[in-house]
Amino acid sequence: MTAAQPLRNYRILDLSRIWAGPYCTKLLADMGAEVIKMESLRVYDSHRGPVNPAPGIAAYPDSDPGDEAWNRNGWFNCLHMSKYGITLELTEAQGRQVFEELVSISDVLVENFRQGSLSRLGYDYDTLRRIRPDLIYASMPAFGNSGPWQNYVAYGIGQEQLSGMAHMTGYLNDGPMKSGINHGDPITGSHAAGVLLAALRYRKRTGKGMFVDVSQQESAVALIGGEVVAYQISGEEPERMGNHCAWFAPQNAYPCAGEDRWITIAATNDYQWSQLTQAMGQPGLADDERFATNEARLNHRRELDEILGDWVRDQDMWEVTRELQERGVPVGPVLRGPDLLENPHYTDRGTFNNVDHPRVGPKWYQGFAWRMSGTPGQVHWPSPTLGQHNRQIYRDLLGLTDVHIDDLEETGVIGTKPTGSRII
Amino acid sequence: MPGLLEGVKVVDFSHYFAGPYCTKLLATLGAEVIKVERPGTGDPVRSIPPFANSRLAGESGAWFLYLNTSKKSVTLNLKTEKGHDIARELVRQADIVVENFAPGVMERLGLDFDAVHVINPAAVMTSISNYGQTGPYRDWKASEINLYATGGLMNITGEPDEPPLKEGAPLSQLGTGQNAFVASMTGLLHAEDTGEGQHIDLSIAEYGTNVLENALMQFSYSGVEFTRVGNRGYGRAAWGIYPCQDGFVGIIAGPDQNWPEVANIMESEELADPRFASRQGRLLNADEVDALMLPWLLEHDKVDIFKAGQDHGLGFSFVAGMEDILEMEQLVARDYFVELDHPIAGTYRYPGPPISPDPGVVQSWVYRRAPLLAEHNLAVLGELGYSSQDVERLFAEGVI
Repeated sequence: MTAAQPLRNYRILDLSRIWAGPYCTKLLADMGAEVIKMESLRVYDSHRGPVNPAPGIAAYPDSDPGDEAWNRNGWFNCLHMSKYGITLELTEAQGRQVFEELVSISDVLVENFRQGSLSRLGYDYDTLRRIRPDLIYASMPAFGNSGPWQNYVAYGIGQEQLSGMAHMTGYLNDGPMKSGINHGDPITGSHAAGVLLAALRYRKRTGKGMFVDVSQQESAVALIGGEVVAYQISGEEPERMGNHCAWFAPQNAYPCAGEDRWITIAATNDYQWSQLTQAMGQPGLADDERFATNEARLNHRRELDEILGDWVRDQDMWEVTRELQERGVPVGPVLRGPDLLENPHYTDRGTFNNVDHPRVGPKWYQGFAWRMSGTPGQVHWPSPTLGQHNRQIYRDLLGLTDVHIDDLEETGVIGTKPTGSRII
Repeated sequence: MPGLLEGVKVVDFSHYFAGPYCTKLLATLGAEVIKVERPGTGDPVRSIPPFANSRLAGESGAWFLYLNTSKKSVTLNLKTEKGHDIARELVRQADIVVENFAPGVMERLGLDFDAVHVINPAAVMTSISNYGQTGPYRDWKASEINLYATGGLMNITGEPDEPPLKEGAPLSQLGTGQNAFVASMTGLLHAEDTGEGQHIDLSIAEYGTNVLENALMQFSYSGVEFTRVGNRGYGRAAWGIYPCQDGFVGIIAGPDQNWPEVANIMESEELADPRFASRQGRLLNADEVDALMLPWLLEHDKVDIFKAGQDHGLGFSFVAGMEDILEMEQLVARDYFVELDHPIAGTYRYPGPPISPDPGVVQSWVYRRAPLLAEHNLAVLGELGYSSQDVERLFAEGVI
C-alpha cells in the first residue's frame, strides 16, 4: 500500500511536445498528477523520431529501431512514464467534439506549440474557458504570446544562447559553447510546473482559472538574472573563464590516469588550500607568497593548474577523490554514463529508475527530481506507446461507447499507427 | 490585487544560490518570505561582486540584490537559546521552511525535520544540499564545478579533444532551486489537503542527472556513450553555434523540409545539393556544410541572421550578451524588465517573471527590492509579540 500521491486530484491535458512541456508534466506526473498526453497521428511528438529511421541510431535499443520505431525511441520514453498516451486529430469535426469533452473535465491544459497554433485551430483561451470556466491554460511558445517575436520559434539550444547562458560558457579566451543538453527546456518546464501548482492552489481558494503566458526565453533569462544586474553595475560583460571561477582559485578539471578521465578540484578558502597542499605532499606551498591568500591564488591560477595537473596526472581519480574528501577539499570525478549507473551513491539513493517498457525491455532512466518523506514519487507505468490509452481514456473516462470509439478509429481520428511525421 | 501565493508563509534559512532562488520564486508569487540571516555578515552571497556601492558592499552585490527580491530580512543567531526560540516561533507559523545547509547542520541547530514536524505538523520542509540527505556522499564537500562533474553534465559539455567544461553561470544550483520551488508547491498542496507536512530532499548533483535527457538513457539503450561534441548538436550537423560578423549565431537546420530555405537565405546553390537534404546526409558531410555556410555567416550580423532564419520558419538564434538582453526588442516590448530602486545600491532593471499568470486575475509578479540586513527585525519580531524594548535587548545580547 503506497501513500496517496500529492497531486492525485489534478488532471492535466498535455498537448506539449519535445522537452520543455513534457519536463513540466513529468515533474507533475511523478507526484501523482493525472497527465493525459495527447498526440496527433499526423504530427506526433518529435521525440518519437521518424516513422522509418535509418538504422544505427543509438537512441533505440541496441541501436535498432525495429518495428514501430516510434514506440522504441529513448528520447520519448525517458520523459513520459506514468502519463496516459492518447491520439486525436483536432482538424476533424469528430476529434474536436472529443477534445472539447476532454477540456471540460481537465484542470489544466499545457501546450508548447508555435505561438497561436491552438488559436488557429479555433481554441483560444476565451473559447476554452467557455468549455471549462475555471481552466488553467499554460501556453509556452518560445517568446511568449505577445511582442514582435511572438511568432518566432526556438528550441532549448537556442534559448541557451538568447538568454545569455551560452555567452558565459566557454573555454578561456575562446568563443561561446553550448551545453551538452538543451538546457533552456527543463528550465522552462520547471518554472511552468511550479507556477501551475500555485495557480491550482489559487483556483482552489477563489474558483478562478487563468491564462498563464510562458515565454521560454524570459524563463531562461530569469534564472541567470543576477548577471543582468551585474552587467548594469560593472558595465562589463561576463567573461568566459573555462573551468575557472571568478571568486576563488584553484578550480579546474585535470586529466587523471585512464582514457578521458578527469577530476575537478576547487579550494574555496585558505583552509581548503592548506589541506590540498598537504595532500599533495607540498605543505610549503600554503606559505608560498604566490599562493598564500585567495587573492594571490587568483593571480596565479596558471601555476596552480600546472601544480595540480602534475599531481593528479598518473593517479586514479577515485584515489584522489577519497584523499581530498577526507581532508574536506571540494573534489569530484567527471562521471560518464556508465559511471552514473554504477555509482554507489546514486544506487543507494535510488537516483535512477529502471522501467520495463513493453517494446524496449527494462532500461535505466533519470529518476525523480526530488524525494518526499511521506509521499515518495512512483513510476506507475512506462511511457505510453502511441495511442496506448485511447480506449481507457475515451471509454472509461469520457464514457464514449465502443461503437463510437471504433468509428473514431475507422475514420482516422484516433489510432495507434502514425499517418505522417514531421520531425525537427 | 493579490499574488497567487497571498497568505503563504515561508521561513527561509537558505543562503547563496539554490535556496534563495526557490524562495525568490515563492516571494514574487506573493508569499511572505522571512529570510533568516546570520547577524553581522548575513547571507554569504552578499559578499559576491560586483557591488553597486563599494562602501556598503554587503547591501549591494548584484546576485544578492537579484536573488532576494520581495523578501524580509531578519537576523538571528541560531546558536543562542533565544535565537533558537524565535526560530521555533517562526517555524510554528510557517507553511514552508526552506534550508540549504550541509546535511546535519539543521539537526545540530535543533531545527531538523523531526523537530519542525513536532512544532508544526503541517509545515513542509524543503532541504537542498550537494548530494542529498542520505547516501555515502552525503557529507562530501563540493563547489559548483564538482557537482557538474558528478552530475554527468560536465562530461558532455565542451570539445571532444578538450577538457570537460562547466557552465559559466551557477546553473546547477539555480536549477535545483527552481525544482525546489516546484517541490515546495507540491508539498504545500498535499499539506493543505491532508494536514501532513513532509520533508523534501533535493540534491544539486542529482539535478544534473535529472536533466541529462538522452545522455543517460542512450547508454542504457544501446551501450553507446554520449560524448562531448563541442558546438555541434549531438548526432546533427548545421545545428549549433557558429561565428558571424559581429558575434555568434545559432544555426538550426531543421526540420528537413525547411533545409532548402537555408540555402536560399545564404544564397548558396551548393548548399541546395541533394546530398545535404536529409539530417543524415548533412551529418555525413558536416564539415563541407559548415565550410559552405561560413563565408555568408561571417559577412552578416547576428540579429540579421537570426531574423532571416525566423522569417523563413527556421529556429535560428544568436548568442546574446547582457547588453543584448537589456536591449532586446522582444523583452522591451513585453515590459519584461522591472525597475527597482534600492536605497544603497541605486536603480537597476531586474529581469521579471519567468512565467506570467494572467494579470487580469492576479498580480502576476510581486516585486520589491531586496532587504537590507536585519531590515525587518522590528516588524517580524513585533508580529511575534516582542516589544521594541525586547528587540533592543535581543540586539544588545547578540541574538539579532
